[in-house]
Amino acid sequence: MKIVVAIKQVPSLADEVELNAEGTNLDFDAVDFVLNEWDEQAIEQAVLVKEAGSGAVTVIGVDATGELDGVLHTALAKGADAVAKVAGEFEPGLTSHAQARLLSSAIIDMAPDLVLTGVQAPDDLDGQLGPMLAALMDLPYVGVVNSVQVSGRTATVHKEYAGGLMAEFSVQLPAVIGIQAASQPPRYAPVSKVRQLAKTATIEEIETAEDELESGLSVRSMTRPVSVGHADMIAGDAKAVAGRIIAILNERGLI
Amino acid sequence: MLTLAEEIAFILLVVVLGGLTAVGFRGIATLVRSGRAAPPREDVPRRLMSALIDVGLQRPIFKARPVLSTFHAFIFFGFSFYFLVNVADLFEGFIPGFALAYGAGGAAGPFLGGVANLFNLVADILSVLTLVGMIAFLVRRFGMKDKRLSFNDGVLLHPGVQAGGVRRDSAIVGTFIMLHVGSRFLGQTLRLAETGKADPFMPFASLTSLAFGGLSASALSLGIHVTWWTAIGLIVCFLPYFVFSKHIHLMVAPLNLGLIKPGPRGLLDPAVPKGAPDDMAPGAAQLQDLGWPRLLDAYACIMCNRCQEVCPAHGSGRPLSPAALEVNKRYLFNHHFTSLAKGEQADIPLLAMAISPEAVWSCTTCYACVRVCPVGNEPMADIVDIRRRMIYDTAEIDSGIQGALEGIGKNGNWFGKVARTRARWAKDAGVPIKDATKEPVEYLWFVGDTASFDQRVVPLTQKVARVLSHAGVDFGILNNEERNAGNDVRRVGEEGLFEMLVEQNMKAFGKAQFKQIITTDPHSLNTLRNEYPQFGAEYPVHHYTAVLLELLEAGKLQVTEKLGRYLATYHDPCYLGRYNQGYEPPRRLLELAGMRFAEMPRNRENSYCCGAGGGQIWLGSAPAGERPAESRIREALETLSPITGDAEQLLFVVSCPKDVVMYTDAVKTSGNEGKIVVRDIIEVLEEALGLTEPAGLPDTAQVPV
Ligand code: SF4
Ligand code: SF4
Repeated sequence: MKIVVAIKQVPSLADEVELNAEGTNLDFDAVDFVLNEWDEQAIEQAVLVKEAGSGAVTVIGVDATGELDGVLHTALAKGADAVAKVAGEFEPGLTSHAQARLLSSAIIDMAPDLVLTGVQAPDDLDGQLGPMLAALMDLPYVGVVNSVQVSGRTATVHKEYAGGLMAEFSVQLPAVIGIQAASQPPRYAPVSKVRQLAKTATIEEIETAEDELESGLSVRSMTRPVSVGHADMIAGDAKAVAGRIIAILNERGLI
Repeated sequence: MLTLAEEIAFILLVVVLGGLTAVGFRGIATLVRSGRAAPPREDVPRRLMSALIDVGLQRPIFKARPVLSTFHAFIFFGFSFYFLVNVADLFEGFIPGFALAYGAGGAAGPFLGGVANLFNLVADILSVLTLVGMIAFLVRRFGMKDKRLSFNDGVLLHPGVQAGGVRRDSAIVGTFIMLHVGSRFLGQTLRLAETGKADPFMPFASLTSLAFGGLSASALSLGIHVTWWTAIGLIVCFLPYFVFSKHIHLMVAPLNLGLIKPGPRGLLDPAVPKGAPDDMAPGAAQLQDLGWPRLLDAYACIMCNRCQEVCPAHGSGRPLSPAALEVNKRYLFNHHFTSLAKGEQADIPLLAMAISPEAVWSCTTCYACVRVCPVGNEPMADIVDIRRRMIYDTAEIDSGIQGALEGIGKNGNWFGKVARTRARWAKDAGVPIKDATKEPVEYLWFVGDTASFDQRVVPLTQKVARVLSHAGVDFGILNNEERNAGNDVRRVGEEGLFEMLVEQNMKAFGKAQFKQIITTDPHSLNTLRNEYPQFGAEYPVHHYTAVLLELLEAGKLQVTEKLGRYLATYHDPCYLGRYNQGYEPPRRLLELAGMRFAEMPRNRENSYCCGAGGGQIWLGSAPAGERPAESRIREALETLSPITGDAEQLLFVVSCPKDVVMYTDAVKTSGNEGKIVVRDIIEVLEEALGLTEPAGLPDTAQVPV
């Protein structure tokens, strides 16, 4: 069983994101990158599948930030058996089309039985990457999955529907599966191990012949939504809050 | 005195059993060396010397249990002197005509006589004292069934221990000592009886000799031979048993004390030895993954359970006993001795055989066990090493601890707050607080997670800011660049995250300009003061209590109101007190504030942990039983209630943000609300300085909207 997990880094939303000067994208110099949280679920699910049966998990991504190594070492610490990155001169903010082409050409050579990826990402809310990967590799795709079990050449997956409904699918392998959540919360990646792996592990670098990175679409402008009115939050203890409310009521001549 | 046959028999015995013992001791040395490397011991000869002096004065053992320690001292002095006695007895056996009884009047002749008299007097008295001490020990263990010698339910015990191995060993050692010393004393008695004279330098033996006056000369001579054998021959027979008995402590304990860890208490050994290969797993899963000093510990252990007695986890009924850990290790060594003595690696998984996972996660890293151990053992160090490997293998990590570690890894704090909100408390502190990364300051205030984020503690943090500012102290903070200092992260076993935090904080230090560090958090203080220097961050680190005291003594702060209406006691936080000896400043501050004060029985070195340290505060589930903090509140009330007098209020004063939280909770959960109030020292001081804000609505202009 060869399981491949396709991952990517996305801007951290814990901090305010800034727009670039042209107003066409984020200012990638000003953001921190983190692993897409759905990809984190995909890694966990892959390791669970491996642990339930046998096989090996390879985690692969495109290094568009120069910081992918840390993420790959973390994947190893969580139980992946091998990691690889598509090497090249890439800029952050690769489109899903580009990601899909780069990843699929590398993954196809690995002859995987199962390809997992996060069903969506903050910069891919419509979840294009999975279906595109499947299309480019000519494999079936199921998305919004929250449990995967493999027996023989078939995977049984649970897919979520609106209204709390759940469907069970049997998928002929090889296939691509878009993970919404792993069947268990992602395990802890000990920093001790991550740091050790950073010294000892090897990351396979895959050269790519792919040079078509455009998606055919371009962003004309990116802006923040204009806010219409806002609520004032009053902080502090009960006394402070009460004091402030009295002051506001006074200001408006209500008392 | 001995016949030729006896002499030959004795020599044969020495050769055979002595040889066997030597092989055993060599095996122990091999075994101990099979542990992982440890930081190099410094200054070994001097430390060994001072260990011998300490042992000679019985200092380490008098750290606790004064009465039993006195009996131990009897046995110790007796046994030490018996080295000389045994040599003399050997001479007596093998050199015809050599006898020390009667000193100057006996066969020793007038030349040796004076020395012999003194020798006899000391031997006579010490023999009796040893017997008295030994009887006391045996009565206590077998007659009184001292509860301190048993373990909590659920403590993992080696089958040999379960089967009463420690009791049997104690019985054998006790019998040996009684027989050995008793026989020697009886032998001297019989010698005196042989001549029918009393020797003023052997008062006790002279007294007992009266009982044997009626025996025939041949009976007496037979008795003298028999007692020689049961005194001296017995030692030789007993030698091989040493290798497997806890009685070996009499040799290993001084060695262990001499080889004690260099450096401060608050500095942990690294998770992998320096210079180890990059892929070596940190910490310990197998017994021989532990550092060699931890293996030696098991041989020094006398199985007295003192460490267990002071352990807060044990005290709250949890299945942790630091003593059981050491005892188990020793029994495992005995069990696998043949292969270990050859230097082989044995399969001895610690979590299955020496200590249970639940016990490992019960330790608060309070250091009480290490502090009290009379032979210099460090059970806590084993526990931290076991945690390190558990974290590394992601085995059985409590969900609460995992959450805390993930939060700290991501945001630098365990409150689940994003890093950029760290300094929010400073906005409504009431005084401007400098950003040390933007302007130079004298003191860098390392705030810590609890003081920054816990809403119960934030007002206290702000008070500290106001008092420092009032005293004109030039201080600043790292703002949102500060990260958790990593003290508890390291003690939970996440060495990698700890290193990462050190790097992040050092990067922030690098952006700031300051000369010294001040903190309210003893945990941060400990690692900043004792561990960061190893990574290159060397600054003087002060607890706020020390700085406040300095300010008062320099007149920069003035007490305007004596707080005589309060009756207070003070809790020493482990990481300020036991780890860093910050005992006096808080007490001086309370004194200057003019309050009535009483110490709890467990204070300073003996302070009892609040139960929060070493990651306990992160644990997902609260274990049943009286929690350490509740036991402490009870102790405070027992101390203060009888002497309340006209005090308006009883205070439980603390000087650690975690303590504020722990004890405020404990007062509620133990149903003592209204009886005693928990106060941080800054609140007390603010009141005494007359800086308390007038009651009523606060200035709303400062409340952010
Ligand atoms: S450090 Fe404290 S809690 Fe841990 S074993 Fe020792 S005494 Fe018990
Ligand atoms: S470790 Fe020390 S205190 Fe604990 S039982 Fe052994 S000798 Fe006693």
